[in-house]
Amino acid sequence: MHLLTDPLQFDFFTRALLAVVLVSVLCALVGAWVVLRGLSYIGDAMSHAVFPGIVGAFLMKGNLLVGALIAAVLTALGIGAIGRRSGLKQDSAIGIVFVGMFALGIVMLSRAPTFTTDLSNFLIGNPLGVTPADLWGALAVTVVVGGILTAIQKELLLASFDPTEARAVGLPVRRLESLLLILIGLVVVLTVQLVGTTLSVSLLITSSAAARLLARSLKKMMLLAAALGTVGGVTGLYLSYYQDTAPGATIVLVNTAIFLAALALRRRE
Amino acid sequence: MLGVENLTVKYGPQTALENASVRFEAGTFSAIIGPNGAGKSTLLKTLVGLLPDPEGAVRFDPGHTARGCISYVPQQQTLDWGFPVTVWDVAMMGRTGRLGWLRWPGRKDRQIVEDALKETGVFDLRGRHIGALSGGQRQRVLLARMLARQGHLLLLDEPLTGVDAATQETLMALLRRQADKGRAVVMVTHDLEQARRWCDHLVLVNRRVVADGTPEQVYTTQNIEATFSTSFLGHTHAEA
Repeated sequence: MHLLTDPLQFDFFTRALLAVVLVSVLCALVGAWVVLRGLSYIGDAMSHAVFPGIVGAFLMKGNLLVGALIAAVLTALGIGAIGRRSGLKQDSAIGIVFVGMFALGIVMLSRAPTFTTDLSNFLIGNPLGVTPADLWGALAVTVVVGGILTAIQKELLLASFDPTEARAVGLPVRRLESLLLILIGLVVVLTVQLVGTTLSVSLLITSSAAARLLARSLKKMMLLAAALGTVGGVTGLYLSYYQDTAPGATIVLVNTAIFLAALALRRRE
Repeated sequence: MLGVENLTVKYGPQTALENASVRFEAGTFSAIIGPNGAGKSTLLKTLVGLLPDPEGAVRFDPGHTARGCISYVPQQQTLDWGFPVTVWDVAMMGRTGRLGWLRWPGRKDRQIVEDALKETGVFDLRGRHIGALSGGQRQRVLLARMLARQGHLLLLDEPLTGVDAATQETLMALLRRQADKGRAVVMVTHDLEQARRWCDHLVLVNRRVVADGTPEQVYTTQNIEATFSTSFLGHTHAEA
């Protein structure tokens, strides 16, 4: 029992636990749509593309969420505009935009005085550095994103299952997708804090993908994804505490193991 | 109810459909027939407004707004049947366009969905995951969604493909009833026999409108040859 309670005497560990749980719930809400709509690649792109927004806000001592939100909106619009004007396939447009944005973020950060530690925080994340303000921010984003997704759930469902009928009915399918991209951008900011830019897509999709293998309905899929993400996050955090490994990457590895277990479980059915 | 005038659709250098003019009327069950690659689905998609800017015009008669009244049933195999939804969920999607934003389905919507599922004979399967259905059952679910939508213009892309013979009869009878109730029903098919039996308006298409009229007018050896053999010749020419 001490094994579980010992780390809790440190406030930073408790805060990290709370953050992991919140972000897992949030990622389950958004990740379900990312997985169902085949947006994993663009989700990964988004997690890199919001980087300059975060860095810009960090350098100007502004709100990281706002910075990321601006970058997310610009990226979502930019990918659409480049895709339409150039006639290139969307994956090329995504590739160009996200690498460009990511490089911009690194260049901006290299001008900062405390370059190396900050960069590694952004790239690898540090759940143990979560502040009380971060937690409140995470809670606010979870409520807002959850509210928006609930409000547009039936439209998203039709647009995801059958985009053709959705357009026939007159739903703004493209704008719904842009909105989803912006929400992904928001979620990514919180995951960056925990696991960093490079791994954040894992939190977004791995639990949802595992849940998709096992769940029969959308609601069950989201609940299961939230549960699996929480279990993976908490387990990973304790493991990293006792094994002294990088917490973000440990969480990602545990999530990956859970996914593989779900895959094996489904094979047997 | 609606029609296209001098419609030409190109995909890059390829002409999918050239200078097509057709009308579809309320109370009529129409079939668009032709070989693969003849532009059948292109014509249907133009009617739905899915193609950005075709040359020519799609005209709705006054009183029929384009968006409000259309229900589109896609080819079964274009959908992801592993999607985590039940039979009931899919039929309920038919209400999405009716309800509008920020409105949740009420008792009336549930009644409409229940009636639709009963009419297509899959009400007992309502709790099933859609992945567990046969091809015929899947088509019945899509038709239930179409009924729940309560559109005036029903467009169906290859509704008979992958469907067993018994279900084909049920589906055709159901679409016939919809037309008799005053709706405009338009289906794309390559099943000439079924179309001749059930439809009162046939459009033979092969990159242009080959023939357009009642089955008696259209179903001639000459027309059918012109529809189904020139595409083959056209292909060999193009490839040579």
